[in-house]
Amino acid sequence: MIQKKKHTGVALDASEKFVAGLAYVLMTVFALVAILPCLHVASKAFSKGTYVAQGAVWFWPRGFQLETMQYILFQTQFFTALKNTLIVTFVGTFVSVVVSITTAYPLSKPNFKGRRVVVLLYVFSMVFFGGIVPAYMVVQMLGLLNTYAALILPFAIVQFNMFIVKNYFEGLPETIEESARIDGAGDLRILVSIVCPMSTPVIATVTLLYAINYWNNYFHAMMYTQSTNMKTLQVYLYDLINSGAGFLENLTSGGLTSGSISPNITAEGLTATAVTLSIIPIIALYPLVQKFLVKGITIGSVKG
Amino acid sequence: MKKAFALFLCLVMMLSLVACGGKPATTTPTTPETSAPKETEAPATTPETEPEKPSNVPQLKGPGNVTLKRLGYNTAFDPNKDINAQVMEESTGYHVEYFMLPAENADEKLLMDISGGADYDCVNVTVNQFRTLMAQGGLQPLDDLLDAYGQDILNSGHSEEVWNALRGEDGHIYAVPYMYPCDHEIANFMVARLDLCREAGITEMPTTIDGFYDMLVKLKEFYGDKYIVLSGPFYQASEANEAWAIPKTITAAFGIYSDWMVNDEGKVIYMTEHPNFPALVEFMSKLYKEGLIDPDWAVNTESTLKEKFSSGKTIICCGNRGLGDYAMPALMENLKLTWDDLGYITALSGSDGTCKYMETTAFNFVSCVPKSSGNAADVVNWWNLRLKDDLHITIGDEGVHFNYDANGGIDPINPIFAEERGNSYWYVDVTSATWGSQLWPARVRKSASQWHAFSAVTMNADTDRIEFVTNEFKFKPATEAYSKYNTTLFNSLKDYLLQVMAGIRTIDDLGTFTKDWVNAGGEEVRTELQSYYDSKK
Repeated sequence: MIQKKKHTGVALDASEKFVAGLAYVLMTVFALVAILPCLHVASKAFSKGTYVAQGAVWFWPRGFQLETMQYILFQTQFFTALKNTLIVTFVGTFVSVVVSITTAYPLSKPNFKGRRVVVLLYVFSMVFFGGIVPAYMVVQMLGLLNTYAALILPFAIVQFNMFIVKNYFEGLPETIEESARIDGAGDLRILVSIVCPMSTPVIATVTLLYAINYWNNYFHAMMYTQSTNMKTLQVYLYDLINSGAGFLENLTSGGLTSGSISPNITAEGLTATAVTLSIIPIIALYPLVQKFLVKGITIGSVKG
Repeated sequence: MKKAFALFLCLVMMLSLVACGGKPATTTPTTPETSAPKETEAPATTPETEPEKPSNVPQLKGPGNVTLKRLGYNTAFDPNKDINAQVMEESTGYHVEYFMLPAENADEKLLMDISGGADYDCVNVTVNQFRTLMAQGGLQPLDDLLDAYGQDILNSGHSEEVWNALRGEDGHIYAVPYMYPCDHEIANFMVARLDLCREAGITEMPTTIDGFYDMLVKLKEFYGDKYIVLSGPFYQASEANEAWAIPKTITAAFGIYSDWMVNDEGKVIYMTEHPNFPALVEFMSKLYKEGLIDPDWAVNTESTLKEKFSSGKTIICCGNRGLGDYAMPALMENLKLTWDDLGYITALSGSDGTCKYMETTAFNFVSCVPKSSGNAADVVNWWNLRLKDDLHITIGDEGVHFNYDANGGIDPINPIFAEERGNSYWYVDVTSATWGSQLWPARVRKSASQWHAFSAVTMNADTDRIEFVTNEFKFKPATEAYSKYNTTLFNSLKDYLLQVMAGIRTIDDLGTFTKDWVNAGGEEVRTELQSYYDSKK
C-alpha cells in the first residue's frame, strides 16, 4: 500500500493563519477580477443573439450557438488579419532578436571602441522619440508603406530589450570566451556557439517581449498600412468594434424578415467572438513562456 | 569623454547634412510640380454624350485602361471582396481598388496619407476632413473636369448653396456632394410598449407635452416601480442633428431645436439663452424628482438603454429607427410582442402649439480628388457613370432586388437585397438631389423594424403641427473658434443639463454656467456664427 507522504512544515500560529487565509481570499478575488471579464466576453460569443441584446448573458453561454463564430471565421477578414499578425510576429521577433543580440554583444565588450557613444545614441533615442509624423515620412520615403517591412523594421530594435541582453552578456565569465578564442574560434563562432547557448534565459525573455510587442501593435500597423489585405489582428478588432453595429444594420433585416444574417448575430456578439478568437493564441502560449516572463522582470537588471 | 563628444557631434552634423541634402519628395501635394493633374495620352474610350472639352482638361484614359484607387471611411467588411465592387465594375467599366480609413485616428491617418502623397485617386470624406484637406492645398479643383465629364453630376438638381459650400476661397469646386438622404427626418423619438400602455388605460400616443406628462404619471401610478417609465437619453446623432441629454421629442415643445439657434431678430443665440430654457430644464427636473424617468439617466449609455428596452424593463425608450433592429427580435421572442405593440412618440407640441424640429439637410460625405492623382478625369467620369446607373448600383434590379409598390415606392426583396445591395451605401460617392426621396427609402425599408419606425414617425409626420426649422449653419465652412471650442461647449452643456436634472445644480446656477461658457470660448463661437449668418443675408 502506498502511503501518502504527509507534508510537514512549520506550524502557523493563529495570526499567521489569518494572514495566509486573507492572502488566499485576496488572491482569489484578484484572480476572479481577471478571469470573469474574459469569461463574460467568451460567454457572449457563444450565446443566442436575443440574450446578448437583453444583456442577459453573464459568465456562461445562454442559448448556445456557433453562428457568430462561423460568421467571424468565414465572412470577415479574420484569417487575413491573423495571417498578417502571425507573419509580423514571427518574422519580426526573429529579426528583432537577431538584431538585439548582434548589437548587444559588441556593446557588452569594454574594449569596443566608441562603445560609450553608441550606447549614448541608443539611450538618447530611447528617451526622445521624433514623433509619428517624421517616423511616417521616413517609412513613406523608404517606400515601405503598406508592406510587412513597415510593421517590422521600425521596431526591429527596442533599446530596453537590447540593454537587457547587453547587461546579461556583460555578466558572462570572460574566461570561457578567452578559452574559445585560444581554441581558434572567431567572434561570430563565440557568439553563436558559446554566448547564445549560455544566454537562453535572456534570449527567451526578450523573444517573448518582442513577440508581445509585435502582436499588440495597433497604432503603427494602422498608420503604416492602407490596403485591407494588410490589416493586422489588432486593427481588424478595432475596426470591428467601432464599425460592427453599422455594418450589421446595413446587412440585416433585424432578424425580423428573411435577411442574410442570422438574428443570433449581434454587434456585441461579433465583437466578443473576434476578441475571444484573437486571444486564443496568446492564452495558448502564455503557460509555456510565463516562467521566462517572470524571469525577465529581474534578468539583466543586476550586473554579475 | 571629449573624444566621444566630438564623435557624437560629427555624427549629428553628418546626419544633418544627409537630411538637408536629400532629394525633395516628389509626391508632396503642395509642391508645384505635382499640383497640376498629369496630362495623359489620347483617350481609349470616350463616353457617347461627352461634350466638347476645353483644351486644358486632362483626357480620359477610359474604363479598362486604368485602375482607380478610392479611399473611404471605415467599415467592417472588405470592400474589395464585396459583391458591390463587382457591380460597380460591371456598370462603369472601371476597375477600382478600395481602401479604408481606420475606425479611430481617421483624421490623422488621412492627413498623413494625403500629405505623404499616397496614390489615391479619390477620397470619400466628411465635410470637416474635406475642408482640412482643401485648406492644406491637397485637392484638385474639379470645375473643368465636371464640365467635361460630369454633366450628370452638375445637372443632378443640387442647389447653388450646396455647390457653394464645396468651393474653395478661389471659387473653384473641390468636391462633389453625397447628401444626407432625408431633409425632414425626425431622427430622435421615443418608442413605447403599447401592450403595457393599454393595460394602464392609455390607447393613444400623446402629441402634446401636457399629454406626455399625464401619460408618464398614469404609467407610474399603475405600475409603480415595476418598470422604468421613460429611459434615456439617446445620444446617437443623425447628420447635422446633434443629440443632447434632453430628448428632442421634449425640447420641440419648448421651441428649442439646436444648441445654436437664430432668434426672430436675427441674433445667434445659444440654447441656454432661449427664453424657454429654464422652463425646459424645470420640466425635466420635475420628471426626475417624481421618479417618472430612469434614475440612471445621467449614466445610461446607448448599450444599456437598448438592453433595458430589449429585456422588457422599460416602457418608453428614447431612440432612433435603429433601436427596433436591436430590440425587436428579443421582444418578439421573449415577450411575444407584435408590431401592434409598439407606439412612437414624436416631436411634442407645447401648450401654445409650439413644436420646432430642426431639418436634417446636410452633407453625409463629400468626394474629392487628391492633388497627387493622375486620374482625375477618369474619377469624375467614373462618378458620372455611377450616378447615371444609381438605381441598379444602389438598389438593384426590378423583379430581382425590389418591386414597386402601389404608390411607386421601392419595396426591397429579401434576402437577396440584403445580400447583394446591403453594403451598396459604402460605394456612394455622389448623389442626386432626388436620391433621398426616391432611392434611399428602399434602404430603410429593407429592415422591417426600421421601416415601421420611419414610416410612423417621419413619413406620416404631422407637418401641420411640427415645424421643421431651417438649419442656418448646415453648410457653414469650418471656422477656427467653432472647431476649437464647440465640442467643449456642447459637452459642458450636456453636463449642466444632467446636473440640473439630478438636482446637483439648479437653474439658478445658469449665471455661473454662462460665465464658464464665455470663458470656454462661447462668445467667440457666437461671433463667428453671427458673421456667417449675416454674410448669407
